[in-house]
Amino acid sequence: MKRPKIRSPGPTLWGIGVFLIVLAGAAPWTPVFLLTVLVQLLIYATLAYSLNFITGLTGYVSFGHVVFMAFGGYALGFGVGTLNLHPVVGVALGALVGLALASGIGLVTLRFRGVYFAIATLVVAVAALYIVLEIKELGDGQGIYLNIGFEPLSWFYTIWVILAIEVALTYWITHGRIGYGIRSIKSDEDAAKTIGINAARVKLVLFAISGLFAGGAGGVYWWTLSGVFPYQAFDLNFSLQMLAMVVIGGMGTLLGPLIGAVAVYIPSYIFLTIFSGFQFIIIGLVVVLIALFVPEGIVGSLRKYIPEIRGILE
Amino acid sequence: MTRLLQVSEVHKYFGGVRAVQGMSLNVREGQVLGLIGPNGSGKSTLLNLIAGVEKPTKGAISLDAQRIDRWPAHRVVELGIAKTHQIPKPFLAMTCRENVAVAAMFGSNKQKDLREALGTAGRVLALVGLEDKADVISSNLTVQERKRLEFARVLGTGARILLLDEIFAGLSPEELRDAIALFMKVQEEVGFGALVVEHVMRAVLTVSEHVVVIEEGMKIAEGTPREVVENPAVIEAYLGAEATHAST
Repeated sequence: MKRPKIRSPGPTLWGIGVFLIVLAGAAPWTPVFLLTVLVQLLIYATLAYSLNFITGLTGYVSFGHVVFMAFGGYALGFGVGTLNLHPVVGVALGALVGLALASGIGLVTLRFRGVYFAIATLVVAVAALYIVLEIKELGDGQGIYLNIGFEPLSWFYTIWVILAIEVALTYWITHGRIGYGIRSIKSDEDAAKTIGINAARVKLVLFAISGLFAGGAGGVYWWTLSGVFPYQAFDLNFSLQMLAMVVIGGMGTLLGPLIGAVAVYIPSYIFLTIFSGFQFIIIGLVVVLIALFVPEGIVGSLRKYIPEIRGILE
Repeated sequence: MTRLLQVSEVHKYFGGVRAVQGMSLNVREGQVLGLIGPNGSGKSTLLNLIAGVEKPTKGAISLDAQRIDRWPAHRVVELGIAKTHQIPKPFLAMTCRENVAVAAMFGSNKQKDLREALGTAGRVLALVGLEDKADVISSNLTVQERKRLEFARVLGTGARILLLDEIFAGLSPEELRDAIALFMKVQEEVGFGALVVEHVMRAVLTVSEHVVVIEEGMKIAEGTPREVVENPAVIEAYLGAEATHAST
């Protein structure tokens, strides 16, 4: 019997690792304009991996991730603006707030399945804006302006570290014993429970991890904009873009969210400079087409139709 | 120590529907207990209650004198009681080996090492005659093979008390003969106790030491397979009152 390889870092992990290390080395010499684009791309990649933990791995579609991102931004705003923390500490605070929120929201919403879960998270996302608008300490509906400098390299290395940890954690979770448990839950939650998997706990932990990284990414995002503003921060388009990235890249895969982030961010960045709003029509169309014809996304399809590279894309 | 599952005076109501009304039975490790009854008599509900999928309205379920009736399903499995599904629920994207390996990793076996779990899975699949399908994706299996995979998966958990929900249903006469022989061989080898819910009389009467008959959620008879098929109450439950007169 051919023994399956277990826990030796696969080619995909090496590939992403080399890619990230090259980026980190090149960053100080990168022109500032390109560096800011790169920072945005890494933020979107972090958000895509964040959603991948829950939606990609378990199949629970969350529209609520914009909430963790927005509160990550508000935590940064409060931490830096009111508590005079360093922005990096503000980002860490944002991640912790994302973790705490996701734990609380997940505890309630993860009792629902399928479309009911999706609706519950959507309701949370819509309601959260109106809650924040009423909180005096969080800008009293006006948002928080921060007077912090333009530091593309600090942004870059902060989001770089978050993304690197996130990718490593994704690999570790999907390639171990717990990865089998997660795949069982995605395949048939009831059957998973009846062979001894604590599905409720596994889902909650994944959702909480997901919130942690979305909060961190949100912190960096609003740091780059030197403030956080309610209507922009709770814009549901963020949730939709995260979903688009995960679906297009390949749900539950290690490489998919990165590919999806590139595939969604770069074109929408180009379209944004031509006419704003048009990019969402394109993204929407692409997601519909992918969902109809290649539901496995880019990475999933490559694995399915070219079995020779299956091992590489694990 | 021989494990003992005890169900005593268990009731389950779904709103106004009294699915189970005061059932009691015991299953010892090593013993096969048959549970028969007409459609809708509460057999599957009773299995779900024992497995922790549903919670009883009243009554107690215990394993070795420890109450388990309020425990979630995954904890019940960890204790060593595992249930098959009436309609097989394989993890479709996984191979048979992986299906059983997950059970070995998370059931009462709790094998932390992937290689060890995959090894266990290979042995269990060989035991149930699925060794040549071990690396086949389970969505490609036939219904009969899926039923065997269900059986393999509960064995993979390391459970000592199995709750088997119609594992012999829908088989052709030859397949049924093979399945019964296989079941008895595996039971002898592994020595598990089992509560076998079944419609196929030939199967349940062959494999069980003792049979309990349930109708409308109540026990109407019990005994050896022979005693049970000759019991007038049982014939009436299955075939109606005229049949009872006809047979006497």
